Amino acid sequence: MSAFVSYVVHGIAVGCGFALLASGLIIIYRVTRVVNLAQGTFAVAAAFLAATLLGAGVPHGLAELLTVLVAALLGVVAGVVTIGKPGTSPQASLIASLGLSIFGYAVEILLWGDQPRSFAGLTGSFELAGVELPKQYALIVVITLLVFGLLDAFFELTYLGKALSACASNPYAARLVGINVVGMSLCGFALGGALGGVAGVLLTPMSPVSYDTDVLFFVNGFAAAIMAGLKRPLYALGGGIGLGVAESLVAGYAKASYQSAFALLLTVVIVVVQSLRSPSARMSEE
Amino acid sequence: MGRYAFAALSVGLLLLAALLDAGSLPLYVLFLLTAVVTVGVCLLMGYAGQVSLGQGAFYACGAYTAGVLATQGCPSVLALAAAPLVAALLALLVGVPMLTLRGHHLAFATLATHLIFLSVIGEMSIAGGDVGLQGIPPLAVGPIAFDSLRDYAFLACLTLLGVMLLVNNLLDSRPGRAIRALSSSEAGAAASAVPVGRYKLAVFALSAAIAGLAGGIYAFQIGYIAPGSFPVLLSIGYVVMAAIGGLGTLFGGVVGSAAVMLLVHLLSRLATLGRMPPTAPAILSYAVYAAMLILAVLFLPNGLMGVASSLYARARHRPAR
Amino acid sequence: MNVIEVQNLIVKYGGATALDGVSLAVSPGEPVALVGANGAGKTTLLNALSAVVRPAAGQIRIRGRFAHVPEGRQLFPDLSVDDNLRLGAYRVRDRETAWIYRILPELERTRKQRAGSLSGGQQQMVAIGRGLMGQPDVMAIDEMSLGLAPIVARTLIRVLGELNRERGLAVLLVEQSARLAFSLCTRAYVLDAGRLAASGTPRELIDSGVLSDVYLGAADRVPA
Repeated sequence: MSAFVSYVVHGIAVGCGFALLASGLIIIYRVTRVVNLAQGTFAVAAAFLAATLLGAGVPHGLAELLTVLVAALLGVVAGVVTIGKPGTSPQASLIASLGLSIFGYAVEILLWGDQPRSFAGLTGSFELAGVELPKQYALIVVITLLVFGLLDAFFELTYLGKALSACASNPYAARLVGINVVGMSLCGFALGGALGGVAGVLLTPMSPVSYDTDVLFFVNGFAAAIMAGLKRPLYALGGGIGLGVAESLVAGYAKASYQSAFALLLTVVIVVVQSLRSPSARMSEE
Repeated sequence: MGRYAFAALSVGLLLLAALLDAGSLPLYVLFLLTAVVTVGVCLLMGYAGQVSLGQGAFYACGAYTAGVLATQGCPSVLALAAAPLVAALLALLVGVPMLTLRGHHLAFATLATHLIFLSVIGEMSIAGGDVGLQGIPPLAVGPIAFDSLRDYAFLACLTLLGVMLLVNNLLDSRPGRAIRALSSSEAGAAASAVPVGRYKLAVFALSAAIAGLAGGIYAFQIGYIAPGSFPVLLSIGYVVMAAIGGLGTLFGGVVGSAAVMLLVHLLSRLATLGRMPPTAPAILSYAVYAAMLILAVLFLPNGLMGVASSLYARARHRPAR
Repeated sequence: MNVIEVQNLIVKYGGATALDGVSLAVSPGEPVALVGANGAGKTTLLNALSAVVRPAAGQIRIRGRFAHVPEGRQLFPDLSVDDNLRLGAYRVRDRETAWIYRILPELERTRKQRAGSLSGGQQQMVAIGRGLMGQPDVMAIDEMSLGLAPIVARTLIRVLGELNRERGLAVLLVEQSARLAFSLCTRAYVLDAGRLAASGTPRELIDSGVLSDVYLGAADRVPA
């Protein structure tokens, strides 16, 4: 029983990380129609940067904050490359983001080497249902809920958030009204970068990250985003947590190496089912 | 594709196979096999308009099919022949549900296919698990044994040329024209009574078979394969080379592979000179890969072949194809 | 001092020429109609005025604020009516919507509703309201009556007329239905296949028969 509880809680924590990655993907997609293959790269770069800052003596909290800000900047860079050139099709942007993630490898290895890195998060443990669990798990869940709450408030209550949503739903009308669609797109990318950064900073204390972990981050983040239909970040929270828990249970009771295959298979199935159910959605992607 | 250009290419490639020194042969064979897969990718992405980030899975499938069969006692020729067939079967298996997908969904599903394949093959003991499959015997066709690298170079050469001819003749045929219609407009193709789904699947399976054949040859040539030999970056690499070479052309596959591999190799050599850190080759390869991909996709939508054909057209004062 | 001045505008889409040397002008507070058959280039002209498409040649001068109410309403469907209106004020600082509800009282009860769930007529009102929020000096409206019941279209024309008279809002009304446009506008331009076929008062245009030629095709007209 205690094993079950620890698997589930572990899964929830990891799933929150997936949900954060997913919400970054969703925001970028909704504002720019681009699937950002470099989303995982934001998280990995953030992890490395945080490790460096903490190692240099920068206090917890400040190090993470600075890291997230840098991640937001990286997001803007990604935005400039993928959509900065007018007339870039979404497919070309997709491949350009792929190129960016590979370029990220070069920079990461150059600055930090090719070995996995980690850093200590919130040390100590707490007790839940008679099981001792790392406090980091609780931190992840709390921060994730906070972030999602802020995101929701941003989009539902602020003028800028509404302008961003408008860009996403009708870029032509947004332009007519005077909204700078390119500027908004870069804002979306900045948010996506920041969210990826938060995910990286929260997940790394749980398991070391190396330059090629971005594939895992992206795959899981995209899986959760797909379950939310690439639409509402809030649904990605449920999807991410569900995915995290499912993977954790598979790793715990079956074989650890099967967990990503499972996640992938599940995502592909969902994607195919979604496609079959809405032919209009298929056509509109072109 | 132009008859003279093809003839020139054939002569050039065969000469290189005959004349290159033994030290350069491993890279040459790898280039030839990579070009074979990339031609398949050009076919899939350029003509049928489907984006695949998982061709590496079919390459790996072919390699493992040939390797497992050969190590289990099957005659190597049959094992090699089975490689493209099994790869095509895998493509059909995953292709049927993926037919309904578009754009980024298809890209993701093909990427997932590669990752899932690696995961599964890493668990199969008959394939050597995570450690890999060792002791694959060299290829033997009756009395002819392929035991030197130069033999494999010739084989790879002939395979590449054969595949290019096959695909070229296919594209010139009636089903081929239908396939070309797919890349410009699926709705248009469907409207003209082209069985879009079936053709998409056929092209997907064909490109997988091509990759599988290359993989089979690779297994025999190198003698040892493991899941680590086929990282996701491999699949991505094929797309990079196809994009840089030019998606809608057959020469694009060869040109793109050559350009990228040469550049990466040169930079790796540069990096090992002087006092560069051991990670320098990796850094430079990734950086160059990435820069070439981004520049190609943003500024050269028709790849190097597109640049070449517009230069050629301008030189002849004729409108580009 | 015209509030809109267009001279010899040429707009191309790839190889095709959508507008071939069009000139027109709108004076402050003037209601002007732009009529023509489907595909004549009316929407392209408005897109050029909004700087959504870049002209190949010609001059566009706009003095004051320009609002473009696009064809098909083009609302933000998932946002509320109130949010749609407030986004219309993106360029100006005053986001107060009360005056819009006074002009278009029917929208008052839909304030919090999802814009995508409204009827066609209500959506058109939201679109016009959104345009007004930008406090324009001239407003161009594209195919306002499309898909609307005649009584609804007449109500909207009446509202536009009030805005024109009481606030001095110049209006560029783009319509396939010339009759509806003429009920409000004192001057009109006729666009045919990217070129200006005629201009003048509604009376002049009706009498000259150019309208029936343009819409129905005169038997002896040389193809453009």
